[in-house]
Amino acid sequence: MNNFGILRTIAWRNLWRNPKRTLITLIVVTVGLWSILAFSMLLNAWAESSRQNALGLLIGQGQIHAAGYMDDPNIDHLMPPPDGALRDVLDSDGVAHWVARLQLPGVVQSEYKTLPITILGVDPAGEREISLVPDKIVEGRYLNGLDDDAVIIGANLAKRLKTTLGRRIILMSTGADGYLEEYSFDIVGIFDADQGFEDSYVFTGRSLLQEYMGLDDEIAQISFVLPDESGLPAMIDTLKAAAPDLDIRDWKQVSVMAAAMNSAMKSIIYIWLGIMIIMMSIGIINTQLMAVFERTQEFGLIRAIGLKPRMVLWLVTLESALLMAVGMVLGVILAVLTYFGFQGGLDLSGFSRAMEAIGSGQVLYPQFAPADFVIYPVLIWVIGVLVALWPAYRAQKISPVEAMRHAT
Amino acid sequence: MITTTRRTFLTTIAAVAVLPSVAVAQDASQILRAAFDNWRADSSHGVVDMTIHRSNGNRNLSMESWTEGHDKALVRFTAPERDAGNATLQNGRRTWVFNPRLNQVIQLPNSAMSQSWMGSDFSYNDLTKTEQIINDYTHTIIETSRSNGHTVYTIEAIPKRGKPIVWGKQIIQIRDDFVLLRQDFYDQVGNLVRSMVTDRVRIMGGRPYPVQLTMSSVQSPGEWTRLNTRSIEFGVQHPSYLFTRSNLQNPRN
Repeated sequence: MNNFGILRTIAWRNLWRNPKRTLITLIVVTVGLWSILAFSMLLNAWAESSRQNALGLLIGQGQIHAAGYMDDPNIDHLMPPPDGALRDVLDSDGVAHWVARLQLPGVVQSEYKTLPITILGVDPAGEREISLVPDKIVEGRYLNGLDDDAVIIGANLAKRLKTTLGRRIILMSTGADGYLEEYSFDIVGIFDADQGFEDSYVFTGRSLLQEYMGLDDEIAQISFVLPDESGLPAMIDTLKAAAPDLDIRDWKQVSVMAAAMNSAMKSIIYIWLGIMIIMMSIGIINTQLMAVFERTQEFGLIRAIGLKPRMVLWLVTLESALLMAVGMVLGVILAVLTYFGFQGGLDLSGFSRAMEAIGSGQVLYPQFAPADFVIYPVLIWVIGVLVALWPAYRAQKISPVEAMRHAT
Repeated sequence: MITTTRRTFLTTIAAVAVLPSVAVAQDASQILRAAFDNWRADSSHGVVDMTIHRSNGNRNLSMESWTEGHDKALVRFTAPERDAGNATLQNGRRTWVFNPRLNQVIQLPNSAMSQSWMGSDFSYNDLTKTEQIINDYTHTIIETSRSNGHTVYTIEAIPKRGKPIVWGKQIIQIRDDFVLLRQDFYDQVGNLVRSMVTDRVRIMGGRPYPVQLTMSSVQSPGEWTRLNTRSIEFGVQHPSYLFTRSNLQNPRN
């Protein structure tokens, strides 16, 4: 124990006998850890932002459809508006908001182009509570009521159709009688979301669309959000119990894409972590080996005055461990500072088009995951100490005789 | 001599028969109705060549067509070899296409109705929605002029509110013998989008008929599709099986 105390003191002093060498390693380790933590905060922010974006536009935290609609989303797979037990659950405190939509595959036509589209008949008042689309109107207005006979389209769709606010487009879909229904709609609003979303959906009043399609009050979809996302699995079970015949899914099952993005982010963080660990290990081995080589004389001397080879091994390992520990502390401090620096959000509106392409919002809010700030440094420290065993092993093999020859 | 007299006499009769209708048809809608009736009549059977002009060359197709009323039509391609046998059938609100190589009849989905018909500048809608211009638009004569001894009416057609029509307006020129001379399609801010022009009028099937029509789009300059009617007869009694799916797939005519 006493031996260890002396060793520790010597190791610490040894570190600062050559400040330049120590600082280089320290910087590698500090910056390495900081980059891992910062990168993980950023990617988590991105993942969360794109998830919120994807869920916020339409998906919600979960959706209810008639059985078969998800596989074949058309007018043959609709359901009546929720009633009875299902209605009670949806109106309970467990659900913050829900909306019913009529969603049908169709075609949009302008003077210049005809494009496939998904037509959504919505309840504008409900959508304002649950969807981001009403807030994303950049020109004109959102829909006014269930029977609003106007249409809201995406900015990019308007560009592709070569049409503008105030002009009319034709929406077509197969009606309840199996015939093509086509109606003229005035564009009263243009929304700005990600390009894929803009190209995929147009919105109009739900009652109106039902009437046009020859329906009564059938709907295609219920989207809901909970006051607290952690209650989702339980709520899905409750809903399934209330409406066993319906297809009830959480957002991961509704949007495989959003779920895949979410897990892909995690993988990217781990890949980055792996790369950084390898780079840091190479850096540590390299500098420590060089150090051991440069210090041959020194090791020869302490061996000559009676230090056992095992003690030399301990000494060098301890030096690495101390150095790594300092690096870890500095890295964590830097990362925490970075977090507080960008707590108000990282405004990337300058790259808004690119951010849209990756499905993210324009402002990223770093996600503070306390576990990361413990697990990553410990992991890196352990690995760093393990790789430093090799230079330490080389140091232990230096004999006094060899050291003397080396000096000459 | 007798025959000449008789012919003159018949012409006079015809002229007299037509005259009152010309007098009445000063109303834009009636002129339009008369022009489309003249074009398609109650029923018809014709042979038409189609030339599709593209930057990389021309494609020449031949077809035989049968129509009855305004919502029954059958078009069967006869040449060239690789397109022969392709057929399009309209009956009421539905349209089918037959591909002999697949030996399949496909009912056209709604989304396909505005797509190009056989790669031409015409869409399926152009073939099947001829009535729309009469029923879903309001018509005004905006100009009356003289050309080659004929009075030419220029009619502005504006879609009625709420009708599913993308165009802002159409400008149609019709000669006093009810030959459609020109149809221009404008977008909602007044830019010309596409034009169908009658290049040649001849007496065919006993009436003046636009035998050569060219459709072109402002969007793709230098590209056009020309329809050349080689022969046409009107007032033909078609067998009842003609406009059926089974006849589309296994032609009996």
